[in-house]
Amino acid sequence: MTLPSQLDRWKEQGAITPEQHALLTGLSRDEPCSLFLPLNFLLYAGVFALIGGLGWTVQTYAAQLGDVLVVTALTAILAGALWYCFTHAPTMVLDYVLYLGCLTWSLELAYIETHFHLLSGQWDNYLLATACFFFALAYRFDNRFVLSLALSTLAGWFGITISRLPGTQEPAYRQYAILYGLLVAVAGIALRRFAIKPHFFGTWLNVAANVLLAAVLSGVFERDNYLLWFPLLLVGCGAALAYGLAQRQFVFIAYAALYGYIGVSSILIRGMSGATAILSYFVVTGIAMLVTLIVVARRFGRES
Amino acid sequence: MRAYTAADEEALRISQLLKDWVNLGFLEESQRETMQQDIPCELRRTNVFLRAVLFIFTLISAAAACGLFFVVFSPHSDSSATGLLLVLFAAACYTGAEFAVSQYHLYRYGIEEGLAVLTVGFLCVGLQIILSRDNIEFVVLAVGAVTSYLLYHRFGFQYLFLAAMIFAAAIPQYWTASHSGQRLIVAVFYLTGLAIITRVRPAHLFDYLDAEYSFIEAILWLGLYLSLNLRLIPSEVTGPFYWTTFALIWLLPAIVLWRSVAIKDRTITSLGLVLAILTLATNKPYLGLPHHAWDPILLGILLIGVAIAARRWLANGPAGIRHGFTAQRLSARDKQWIDSLSPTLAIVLPNPATLTPVAPEHEFGGGTSGGGGASSDF
Repeated sequence: MTLPSQLDRWKEQGAITPEQHALLTGLSRDEPCSLFLPLNFLLYAGVFALIGGLGWTVQTYAAQLGDVLVVTALTAILAGALWYCFTHAPTMVLDYVLYLGCLTWSLELAYIETHFHLLSGQWDNYLLATACFFFALAYRFDNRFVLSLALSTLAGWFGITISRLPGTQEPAYRQYAILYGLLVAVAGIALRRFAIKPHFFGTWLNVAANVLLAAVLSGVFERDNYLLWFPLLLVGCGAALAYGLAQRQFVFIAYAALYGYIGVSSILIRGMSGATAILSYFVVTGIAMLVTLIVVARRFGRES
Repeated sequence: MRAYTAADEEALRISQLLKDWVNLGFLEESQRETMQQDIPCELRRTNVFLRAVLFIFTLISAAAACGLFFVVFSPHSDSSATGLLLVLFAAACYTGAEFAVSQYHLYRYGIEEGLAVLTVGFLCVGLQIILSRDNIEFVVLAVGAVTSYLLYHRFGFQYLFLAAMIFAAAIPQYWTASHSGQRLIVAVFYLTGLAIITRVRPAHLFDYLDAEYSFIEAILWLGLYLSLNLRLIPSEVTGPFYWTTFALIWLLPAIVLWRSVAIKDRTITSLGLVLAILTLATNKPYLGLPHHAWDPILLGILLIGVAIAARRWLANGPAGIRHGFTAQRLSARDKQWIDSLSPTLAIVLPNPATLTPVAPEHEFGGGTSGGGGASSDF
């Protein structure tokens, strides 16, 4: 039975009102057809192209344009974006205007630092201030784009770039990553406890979990001292698993399974020699993981 | 024939829509529970994250089992025997996928998907090994295309249709050395697919197959565009064919957008926009003109302007609707998409604030204010 005929039946049975029937029948036939996603895509692509072009133009033509013109233009865009955000009601467009403003702020500061060295030796303060500014805007305007930008800027203050994290073997780099992950997790928990935009909690926790687990996993890959990191990885994966099961957040179960499997396998395979032993290991553990995950999926995943 | 019944797949679609409508406040949860009882479904599904992990572990364990078999039972077999064994493994994987679906009613569960993907992989590698001496590699590609398509048809895994398209795109290189000939043959493949899908779709506009066919049509349009855009995937073609493709890359986005409006399909609309952006981005290279640093600025202003104008125009219509289109969000899943994608994009894409002159590259140390040493010597 197709959806329109089902809806007719539910209306006859009194399960839905005639108004609901009319609305849902229309929606089931894509009437009206929502262009919400395509318009969001256009706005995002537009902002990204615009900011990329600004960066490229400033980099290429800074000498010809002159510092005054560049700084004035970037400041005008930033001021315009902020003015728009503070004077207009929240809409789909406002989210992207704010995002554009934040990226322009970053670009302008990078330009000022590169050309005037006003902030020489103070770049970390500057990143921290920028991160705080972005956090304030993200919470003021309820904007996840800007929240993520704030988190990546804060990571920059810790000297971390997300792309560099998984393969790093530098102990100091790893320690800063762990510190950053813990700070993000604690801040996220605290903000949720105080009921300050609790719907942002998922973003905080996902960033924290990935940074922490990737940092600890990189320690497990080390030739020396890997046994120090291994218990930490188990604790981290255990915590992710427990949280995922308790809150029905299956992405954390996936993190626990993947990071844990990679870490445990890297330790166990070190002691193995010969293709038979290694392949047997993958067959046995692969099936064991499948069985465990199926049990988890059947027990907890059905309703998700 | 499809491995799942139409009733089950339709029930799943209705079930998802009901949840969506509850999230948007169009239905009460109690109403949904009552309605849900009328749409029984035997299929077993799981969460998208668990699905991904189950898929990965299926690949790991099945591929390792295949490797183990070779190591233990036929370590010194010749290439023909190896190829034949891989074909047998492909058959075993397909049987496993069928078994998982028929006995356990798995639906987009990761396991049957992993086995289906391995079926194509083992079959192609096995045939490649068997036929490597005969110099008829295109047979491998053709078998890959046909098998991927048949498995898509059987299980409905849309990425296998994409795989079939990619296999098909690689075949013409064995038929002709001419680059324009190759492009033309690929375009004809995809045009044939489009002709079929546009005929089939009207019968399924309001059932579970609509979304699937929408995606298939979108990737066929994309494939057709990519096969014709000689600057996006560079080719040494010149002359009339070159200028014909130049005209076509301008024409195709218009056709796609026109069709998306005609059939009110958001996926096709999004694709039409992507194609239009690609055409604008490759226009200058096509004409042999250099790119300017400010080109992306103009593109960005154009895109933002179009989006704002379209949104305003739609919002100013009666009840925010014009000609059956609205800028309002009518699906909770749209928000989920943006909520889940936006943080990832914002983190993964370059952040100008962290692309600064003093990026940490060496040893950490110093730092004047407790940061990660971002300002000091590393």
